[in-house]
Amino acid sequence: MHWSLAIAAALAIGIPAIATAWAQGRIGPAAAAALSEKPELSTTAIILIAIPETMVILGFVVAVLLLRGNG
Amino acid sequence: MIIHMTRIRIAGPRTLLERTLRLLQDLEIVHVTAPLVGGHPERGAPDVESPRLRRVLEDAEAALRALGVPAGEELPATPPQSLPRAALLARRTRRKAEALARQQSALADERVLLLRYREFFRAFAPLLDRELTWPDGHAFYVVLREGAGDRVERLRASLEAAVDGELEVLSHALPTGETAVLLLASRGVADKVGQLLAASRVQELPSPPGLGDVGLARALPALEARLAALPLLEDALTAKIDALRESAREALGRLRSWLHDRLLVLEASQRAHRGPHLFVVEGWAPQPGVPALAARVQAELGPDVLVEAVATEPWNRADAPVALRNPPIFRPFEVITSTLPLPRYGTIDPTPFVAVFFPMFFGLMLGDVGYGVLLGLLSIVIRARTKPGTRGRSIAAIGGACALFSIAFGFVFGELFGDLGARAFHFRPHGFDRGGAILPFLALTGALGAVHVTLGIVLAVLNAWRQGHRREALGRGVAAAMVTLTILALLAAFKVLPSRLFTPFVITVLVAFPVLVLLEGVVAIVELVSNFGQILSYARIMAIGTASLMLAVVANQMVGAMGSVLVGVLFALLFHVVNFGIGLFSPTIHALRLHYVEFFGRFFSPGGTAYRPLTHWHPGTPGA
Repeated sequence: MHWSLAIAAALAIGIPAIATAWAQGRIGPAAAAALSEKPELSTTAIILIAIPETMVILGFVVAVLLLRGNG
Repeated sequence: MIIHMTRIRIAGPRTLLERTLRLLQDLEIVHVTAPLVGGHPERGAPDVESPRLRRVLEDAEAALRALGVPAGEELPATPPQSLPRAALLARRTRRKAEALARQQSALADERVLLLRYREFFRAFAPLLDRELTWPDGHAFYVVLREGAGDRVERLRASLEAAVDGELEVLSHALPTGETAVLLLASRGVADKVGQLLAASRVQELPSPPGLGDVGLARALPALEARLAALPLLEDALTAKIDALRESAREALGRLRSWLHDRLLVLEASQRAHRGPHLFVVEGWAPQPGVPALAARVQAELGPDVLVEAVATEPWNRADAPVALRNPPIFRPFEVITSTLPLPRYGTIDPTPFVAVFFPMFFGLMLGDVGYGVLLGLLSIVIRARTKPGTRGRSIAAIGGACALFSIAFGFVFGELFGDLGARAFHFRPHGFDRGGAILPFLALTGALGAVHVTLGIVLAVLNAWRQGHRREALGRGVAAAMVTLTILALLAAFKVLPSRLFTPFVITVLVAFPVLVLLEGVVAIVELVSNFGQILSYARIMAIGTASLMLAVVANQMVGAMGSVLVGVLFALLFHVVNFGIGLFSPTIHALRLHYVEFFGRFFSPGGTAYRPLTHWHPGTPGA
């Protein structure tokens, strides 16, 4: 495997992981604050927290495709 | 699924309104609403009985609460022989019970407080003999915190300098490390000492409550005597409360049930049209129950009361109440859908679809025979510890379904605690190894996503059709067809399907495109593209499943990597426990998310009115 592929795969998962962490870091406290006021919002909170994970999951898929498709 | 509702109208002589409503309360199937007479609900005479009954009910419930009768205790409703007498009984019992409860609470508070004081003041016991030698003096009790022993000397020095020697400072080290300090001062300088203590922020211990400002030397024996007397007083009070509970429990419990029932009937009566000679009650009842309802009314009330099925509501009647009735196998999954608002009448109840896809997605992610068995055992334990019909029992059933799917997919992937089964028992995949075949696994999850999202669009078509929005239904149908055709074209391009089909599929998609824009507008293009994005989102099943497998493999590798086999096994077990915990949490969250966002977002239409038939009151259900 060429080293550039490994770097590309690392970037493909690393950058979305940072983006996801940043988004969840902002959504989490807001959701916790909302839940302390309105516990019935738990479903919405779960959805909101899980939404940014799509980025890192798709990053993971791209990384796998890069490594497996060319390995 | 959502039950078909029939709008019914019951009419009869005004004198039979009460009996009719009581019969409906016994039957417990009619959701009473205001009748539409001349297009507007008509109101009868104002209800003067309800406020009076509510006051009696408030007294009865407060009395039962004060007497410690469990809120869930249900006794049959019995009408009182005389309501004024029952009201008097409720009011008097409430007054007595609340007074006794207040006394009991005051005694309990006093006991706790005195015990705390006793502990504290016993520390001063070695110093108190000296206090008695100062009959005209004033005593100050101070506790200095741990590590502040040198402060006693500083306190002594500064106070003696300030009050010219009419003072004695005694100290005693406590086992806690604190220091008890007794300051004895003559009456003439007591105020000044108090001011100095306050200025130097040394907090004085107050005298025990109820014993007066007599000083500890005299207060302590009185405190001990009071503490000894308290249990007797408490026992006497408890006996009084028990006696009152035994005498009033039955009568008040029956009265409470009757009052709730009566208020529910009165509330329903207010919704009825009450003319001088006739009454009309309208409401909804589940369609299958209407013939039996009509027969029962005829049998009990005679031919003067008529029951008429106005219409079986078309699905587009948004004001019809919503009742869900799912087969027992699907019913536990209502816990998941109940976190959302009720679906509107005429739309689709997603519970049966959740019952199929939620455990399937969960099983695909966990996909391990060992973890599946553990989850199954956990579900059995939860089931054994919960009562039927509770939320816990539903969660146990969902856990059981997820465990079955996890075990089934564990066989498909050949996983038993990761690769432990393959290493130790030659356990092989019966489908494919998801650790090695990541791309096929990705394709499988993508296919599942395509099926799930397309199913969501098809349900949206059905919703729109039932609601009479034919154009929207056609638009959604074209969108569903385009998604399917695009996927088929991709399969043909990758030679999964014969490649000669590629061109016809693409041409059909291109032809459908303007039709979609014509039916749904330009926004439909965005929605169409978002469908493909949401199908890709199902890749999370592969990602989480692979991560779960890799963690289990790492756990197994610890056995040989730690030098000592025993330490390795312990670490491996610990890692498996952690992975099992993650394996329960993460698939649950992501399977929920796939449902809430990707699936429900296609078709779920919230805003339904809950079906609340006129029933007898039961503890835990809202009253009138």
